[in-house]
Amino acid sequence: MSYYDIDDIIADSQKIPCQFNITVPGLGYLEGNPGKSIKQNTKIELPFWLAEILAISTILNNDESFINLIDPDFISTKIINAIKSDSNSIDLHKIISHYYVSIEKWCKLFNDVELIENSMHLLKQRSFEINNFANNVNKSVGSDFIYTLDEFEKKLYKDSCESNKLMKKWLK
Amino acid sequence: MVLPSNLIGNLTPNELSFLTENEMITILPRYSMNKIDLIGTSIPKLRAMRREKVPLWVALILKSQSKCNIVPPDWLNHQYLKDKYDEEIRKANQFSALPFNWLEITKIFLDNASDDLQDSTDEIRSIIQDLKEIRLVKSRRGLKELNESNIQLNGLGMMEINEIRTFVIPVMNKLRQLHDTTVKEEEAESDEDEMSE
Repeated sequence: MSYYDIDDIIADSQKIPCQFNITVPGLGYLEGNPGKSIKQNTKIELPFWLAEILAISTILNNDESFINLIDPDFISTKIINAIKSDSNSIDLHKIISHYYVSIEKWCKLFNDVELIENSMHLLKQRSFEINNFANNVNKSVGSDFIYTLDEFEKKLYKDSCESNKLMKKWLK
Repeated sequence: MVLPSNLIGNLTPNELSFLTENEMITILPRYSMNKIDLIGTSIPKLRAMRREKVPLWVALILKSQSKCNIVPPDWLNHQYLKDKYDEEIRKANQFSALPFNWLEITKIFLDNASDDLQDSTDEIRSIIQDLKEIRLVKSRRGLKELNESNIQLNGLGMMEINEIRTFVIPVMNKLRQLHDTTVKEEEAESDEDEMSE
């Protein structure tokens, strides 16, 4: 991940749901109450970069951390089952526009082997399909599949299209 | 930064073709010419009707001035390529051995020295097309087996590798990054265990 990678920055600011374990004074502005404190057990959506650090750092003399992370939508069982049944018909872009980066960040925290295997399977299936579409440079693509790609897949599709075009041009 | 991102770390077919022009090739000069010493290579003294090996780009210049005939490589004829094509069909799971830059050389010959080929251009063109297609189908099939650690490219030519490179590298990188997120934890844990012991 590069410091200047705009996709990484966007993925980092993706909001995920979390729950506060303790009452924190002065943090009320997070839920729209400036000047007030944030209560224990408040559920709130925080950007990933903030949630991550709050979830792993522990409070002094206490085993608890500031917040608990609640499983976000993109790793819900519904979506995992959808991936298992048919990877190519999922609208990844609708679920989360930076799916793979988010999964990566999530699994770095929780070391979820099953989830990683699932998303690797997803990537393999979909990249094969992307390659098929990218080879078809002359005809316009009439499939909705292209609109369901996440940002990484979009770039992959664009680059392979470009290289196939160059190859076709050279072969002429 | 100025270079478009899809060209960074990647060569265009034209660039590969340019690189191939450094290959040595046998020519049959029609005129005599003195030896020329260049920085990279030296062009030997040419005598009329005496076979000599020169870089392909020199051969092409001489050819365009009708000062030589280029002798096609052993493999560049219809019979040999046909045999290779049959071999491709027979061995469904591997690529037949062709020169590393067979596509580039064939293309250069077809464009610039088609009169030096033994067989008609159409025949060569069609067999090359067939070969290319069957090999492409095979490499496509191989893409299904992509994983995070390695890819085997035995027997593939430079152009064919370049063709799939823009696709394979990002996918394998992403797979590796995804894979690493869990592996690293385990390794870190085992490292800690070792430290504590």
